[in-house]
Parts: sequence; structure tokens; C-alpha cells
Amino acid sequence: MTPILELRNVSKEFHGVAAIRGVDFALMPGEVHSLLGENGAGKSTLTKIMAGVHKASSGEVLLDGRPRVFDSPAEALHNGIAMVFQETSLVPSLTVAQNIYLGNEKFLNRLRGIYIAAQQFLQSLNFGVDPTMYVSQLGAAQKQMVEIARAVHHKARVIIFDEPTATLTPEEKHHFFALIARLKKDGVSIIFISHALEEALAISDRITILRDGQHVVTDDAGNFDRDKIIAAMVGRTLSEELYSRDKSRSVRGYGRKVLSVQNLSMGKMVRNTSFSVYGGQITGIFGLIGSGRTETAKIISGVIKRDFFHGGEVRLEGKSVRYRVPRPAIKDGVVYVTEDRKIEGFFETKSIAENIYMNLLSADLNKRAVISYSEMMALAETWTRKLNVKAIDSNARVIELSGGNQQKVVIARSLVQKPKLIIFDEPTRGVDVGAIAELHHVINELADSGLAVVVISSYLPEILNLADRILVSRQGRIVEEFSMEEATEEKIMYAAVH
Amino acid sequence: MDFSKAFRLLNQERIVFLLTVVLFVTFSLTLSNFLAAGNLLSLVRSVAVLGILGLGMLIVVLGRGIDLSLVATMAISVAWAMQLVSEGMPVYAAMTTGLLFALCISLVTGILVAYAEIPPLFSTLAMATFIYGFGRAHMITGTDVVYMPKNMGWIAELGQGHFLGLPMPILVAAVMALLVFLFLKYTKLGAFIYAIGDNLPASRIGGIPVRPMLALQYVISGGIAFVAGIITATSVEAMNTRVVNSNMIYDVILVVVLGGVGLSGGRGNVRNVIVGTLLIGVLMNGMTIMDVQYTIQNVIKSLILLLAIVVDSIVNPRDEQTGQQGDI
Repeated sequence: MTPILELRNVSKEFHGVAAIRGVDFALMPGEVHSLLGENGAGKSTLTKIMAGVHKASSGEVLLDGRPRVFDSPAEALHNGIAMVFQETSLVPSLTVAQNIYLGNEKFLNRLRGIYIAAQQFLQSLNFGVDPTMYVSQLGAAQKQMVEIARAVHHKARVIIFDEPTATLTPEEKHHFFALIARLKKDGVSIIFISHALEEALAISDRITILRDGQHVVTDDAGNFDRDKIIAAMVGRTLSEELYSRDKSRSVRGYGRKVLSVQNLSMGKMVRNTSFSVYGGQITGIFGLIGSGRTETAKIISGVIKRDFFHGGEVRLEGKSVRYRVPRPAIKDGVVYVTEDRKIEGFFETKSIAENIYMNLLSADLNKRAVISYSEMMALAETWTRKLNVKAIDSNARVIELSGGNQQKVVIARSLVQKPKLIIFDEPTRGVDVGAIAELHHVINELADSGLAVVVISSYLPEILNLADRILVSRQGRIVEEFSMEEATEEKIMYAAVH
Repeated sequence: MDFSKAFRLLNQERIVFLLTVVLFVTFSLTLSNFLAAGNLLSLVRSVAVLGILGLGMLIVVLGRGIDLSLVATMAISVAWAMQLVSEGMPVYAAMTTGLLFALCISLVTGILVAYAEIPPLFSTLAMATFIYGFGRAHMITGTDVVYMPKNMGWIAELGQGHFLGLPMPILVAAVMALLVFLFLKYTKLGAFIYAIGDNLPASRIGGIPVRPMLALQYVISGGIAFVAGIITATSVEAMNTRVVNSNMIYDVILVVVLGGVGLSGGRGNVRNVIVGTLLIGVLMNGMTIMDVQYTIQNVIKSLILLLAIVVDSIVNPRDEQTGQQGDI
């Protein structure tokens, strides 16, 4: 049987960094094929190539055995490939029915007509959504349903679901799986991306596992179990050298308690979480994307305003604190190093020196109202040497540097503020291998010098390599703590997926 | 390669400067009385107020905002201050009151933008209408025009006097330009304004007091508007409040954008405003001598403004990455 959709030796690079490398993938007609892997394993990139969002850097995409290149998602959709995105792609100011028929409107588009048709259609899918509701008024799960309904309505032959069940209640999940079974019976092929391994095992015919952008294994779902999948997801090949766990590495002890968080809650992302951070050691926080780890860190450092009506307490060195903006947190010595340096990490029109000096000014550490350019250059000189930033000189603009050097500047910006507690959110994302080792060295030195260091990462080897103790975050709270003696990749991953 | 290198060197400021030089040379060769010393002085003098207002606009635009209430603040605060003098208030007290009014009203604008998070375009537009309406209805009695009282003392000299042969408005504009230059380049607050315009989230995470700084921008520009108003009023011995309904505010934006200040914030300095002001000065002066109709002048100015904005969006794309590589 010819696969309906096939990828042969497909690679995709973003700005010279490979997201996936030489991946083969085949989707048979009428099968449910699960795609599993850690964050950053390349699942989303792979499916986005199939759906025409990205174009492969090399390799072939075959539809019904013939090579095809999709220039846009619309073209892929026209050829029967629909993708239901994680981040919803509906038009919020239109009604449910209008969204379902978007792009398929008749010349004379009577609302009454499409409401009736949409009502019948949604009923046939067993979705309890009112077609006259505006999408902006819907909850996350209902939006998901409308997305799915739209894909089904387009008579897609291939539907790609990216984390469809994350927002659904058990009841809705039940309907969703029934729908998948029905679609499958109608001959629709389904690609299912999920972090929920049980769901993948229950509904798929075959499972493909990716790791570090490469294909690991594809096999019938019956030949897998939970432990096998986790082993395949975390087994290392590529970066083993960099992250080889130094068993002899001495684990740092507990210093004084710097931060304690008790029953902190905030909206849907942080639910009743409690943990402590100690000086002179690195606390690693592992969690998959959406597990609330970034939000927790941002609340502690004032980047997200903590509202009064949300519960919990944050104590910094025994004193209860509640920050509305980052500025008072910085003055108290709590600094957050962002995971998204391009958006909130540095100033793109400014030089390295200006970027670093700006944070000294903003922390009021030099008590100056007038800028001293000599002080600025001296400061830049000190920090570029300390962190080994590779640039022509300190007047080079940060935007022109490589990812690793940009990250070093972002870290230097935080370190000039003399933090007591520094939170690194994904400190090595988008950084080349050589710079990763240097960044790890910097982070280790900070802990050795007595700072309380938190490293948030969704990359297990990084956590295992850096941390002195590991907290695992899941569904908005810290669910488990491991000492380095008991921590293994399998145990941590088991705690992080539900 | 050489071509692309040359293109890189040609930023908007240099293009406009070259254009100014070309126009200047053309006018001096073709128009007989263009180069006369009297004409050159009146050229600079005529745009001095525009330049001062441009400095206020520069500060706001650098912080990724825009202040459409500049002209209204200028007209009403100065007209009111002069009326108070006519009603018998001591000159200094009346001027201080006018300045405080300008600062307070722009503080309200700043709070609307920074704390109520109303987009600057709307909040300053609404404030402009409010200031003008309220001023005409409740503050300024009589006609649209408030004449300068006779007892203004040395303040009147700011518009009419000469120093070392130069008209005072030119000197005031130069001093204001120097002050704003020093403020932006050498003070911490100036650096913060650039930072906020460049990247607001990064400024916030870095510990810059973003909201107070946003409000401060408008307060400063309000103060500058008052100075511009004093110069206007003392030059012509009156403040015509109908100037709010003219297209002066667009000329101010024209001067700022034309000089190469990025409307997306964080890019530009006083030099850009000076270059933009000179171009408009040369252009308007030349067209006046050539007796080009006022409406045609507007058409030419507006075309130049559109061109400048298009060039600005090409030369200074908001996001360099997407600007260079297209959207992924």
C-alpha cells in the first residue's frame, strides 16, 4: 500500500541550527499515527513541513507517492492536509459557523443558512458548541472543537493534531477519541502529537518517536509500552559527549534558605505550588512546556504581576514579598533571565556595552543621573572578558552576535545587577554546543560563589548535568523533588508526564 | 557589492540632508533673492517654532509614542497665561501658571498612556480636542486671538529681540536643541527613553520604571510645547488659538519623521530633527518665493511625508530579522 503522505530524508534548518535532520516518515491511509518526543525533538517542525507552514531545507515530501512542495498552509489544505494548531488559528471576532466556513463562503453568504448547516454539522460530530457564538467568547476546549470541526469540514484526508487533548476535560476527551475512531473509519489518516503517553498508546495504530531532531523508531503501537516509549524518548546519542554525566561531580550542599514559595496560585498556569530555593547550589526545575515553570518564575521575579486575589505566599530570606513589576524584585536581588532573549532579553539598536550598562543604570547601583561613557566601557570590558563574549569590540550591536554570545550578554546584563537569587529560564536554548559548555561553566561558578541559582530547562541532560537538586513541574505545580543520587532520566520523565 | 555598501551608508538622515543641500543650491541658483542674508534669517526663524515642537515630539516618538496634543497644549497654555497677565496677574506668576497648566495637562495624557494603557494616538488626539475645547469654553474669554500684553518685559524679547545679530527665536531653538541633546545622550532618564522605545518588555524585566518614564515623556513634551508657544506668541504679539485646527501638528510629525526618527521607537536623535526642520524650512521658503499656492505646498509636503514614512519602514524595519529574511 502506498503511504498517503511520506517524508524522505527531510531536514530543516532555522538560521543554521538544525531542527530536524534526515527524518523519514510515512503515513498510511486510514491510520492513527502518534508522534512522540521531548520538547524540541522536532515534532512540531516535522508536522509543520507536512502542513505547508515550513518548507524543508532538504529532502522530499511525497503525496500519494508523487513529490510535492507546498508553498502555504492553504495549498496543503487544498490537497487535503489539515493541521489543528496548538495555538488556535481561529478568527476571534467571527462566529463559530463563520469560522468553520471561512474560505468556503458562497458569493451570497447568508448567515442563517450557514448557522443551520453548521448546527447540523456540529451535531453530527457530537460537539456541544453553539454555532452563533463568537469565538472570542469560547473557552479553550471549545475553540479546539471548532478547530477540529473546521478541519473535518474541509474534508481533509490527513489531519494533524498538535496536542489536541491538553485543554479538554475527560468527558470531551471521550468524545474526541470517538471522533477520531469515526474519522479513521471514513479513511482519514491522523497524526497525533501528545505528551500524554497513555492516550497515544490507546488510540494509535503506529507510533514514531523523535529525539534531538532525528528519527528513533517507528513501530506498531502494540509493541510499545510506557517504559519503552520513555526510554526511546530520553535515550541519548547526539549530545552524549557534552552531557555525559560526571558521576564523580560533587553535589553542592544546602546553603541558607533564600526563597520559599508556599501554595502559590495564579490563574490556570500556577496551581498551589510550593518549593524552596537555597543559596550556594543550583536548583533545577524540569517540566514540559505548559507545566507552569516559566510562569512560576515570572511571578516570583515580578515579571507577571501577582494579583491579590490569588493565594499563596512568596518569602525572600524570610520576608514576605509581592512584586507588581520586576524593578522592586531586582532591587531585592531577584533577577530573572528570560527564555526568549530576542523578545525580552536585549535592546537590538544598542551595543553590547550599552546593553550591559543599561541594567546597571536601571538597578540604581551606581547612583548616577548622568551617564559616564568611560564607566560604561570599563564595565563592558570586564563582563565581556569574564563571560568570554566573542565580538569585534564592545561597540558591536548585540543583534549581530551569534545566539550563544547574545545569551552571554543577556546573562551579563543580569549579573551586573548583583542578584542574590538568579533564575535562568532555558539558558541554552538556541545556543551552539561550544557556548553551552561555557554557559554551564558560568552558571556553576555563580553557585560556587554562594548565589541561589535556579535553572529551568525542558532538556533533561542539562538539568542532570547542572543541578544539585531537581524539582519536577507538572500542570502548574512542583510535583516531585529528586536528590542527585536518586535522579535518573526515566524517573524524572515519568514524573513530568502524567 | 559597492552598490549595497553605498545603500547602507545612505540612511534616511543622509538622504534628507543631501536633498536639503540640493534644494538649497538649486534655489540659490534659480531664485535671485534666496541667498540674501535677510531671507536666510527669516527662513530659519520661520521654522524655529516647528523645530522646538519637533524636539518635544522627538522625545515622545523615541519612547514609541506620538503626541498629537502638542499644538493644543502650546496654544491654550500660552494664550491663557497671556490673558491672565492682561487681567492683572503679575507676569512671572502668570507664566508659571501657564507652564504648570501645560505640565499638568500633559501629565494627564502621560497617565492615560502609561497607566490606563490607551494607545498614544487616541489618548493624545482626545486630549488635544479636550484641551482646545475646554480652553476655548472656560479659560479664554473673548475671541480666538489673545493679544500679547504690553508689560511682558524681557519675555517679549524672546520673540522679537536680537542677540549678536541673530533673532532670538533661532537662539532659543538652538538652546532647546542643545538641552534635549544633553538630556538624551548624557542622562539616565534619556537612556531609559531610548531603551523603552527599543524594547519595552526587556526594559521592564531589566528594572526600568517603564510606566513613570512613559508619563514623563509627555510631561517633557508639554513643557517644550509651552516654550514653543511663548516664542510664537511673542514673535507675532498674539496667540491665535485656531492654530490647533491648522495642520501644524502634521508639520511637526513631518519634521520628525523626515529627519529619520523611527516612528517605531528607539531610533533617532536631535540631529535628525534639525535636518528635517532645515529641509522643511528650505522647501517652504523656496516655494513661498516662487509663489507656489498654499494648497500646492500642502500637496508637496504631504507627498514628501508619505515618501519619508515609506523609506523609514524600509530602512528601519521594526524587527531586523523579519526585515531581512521575510516572515518565516
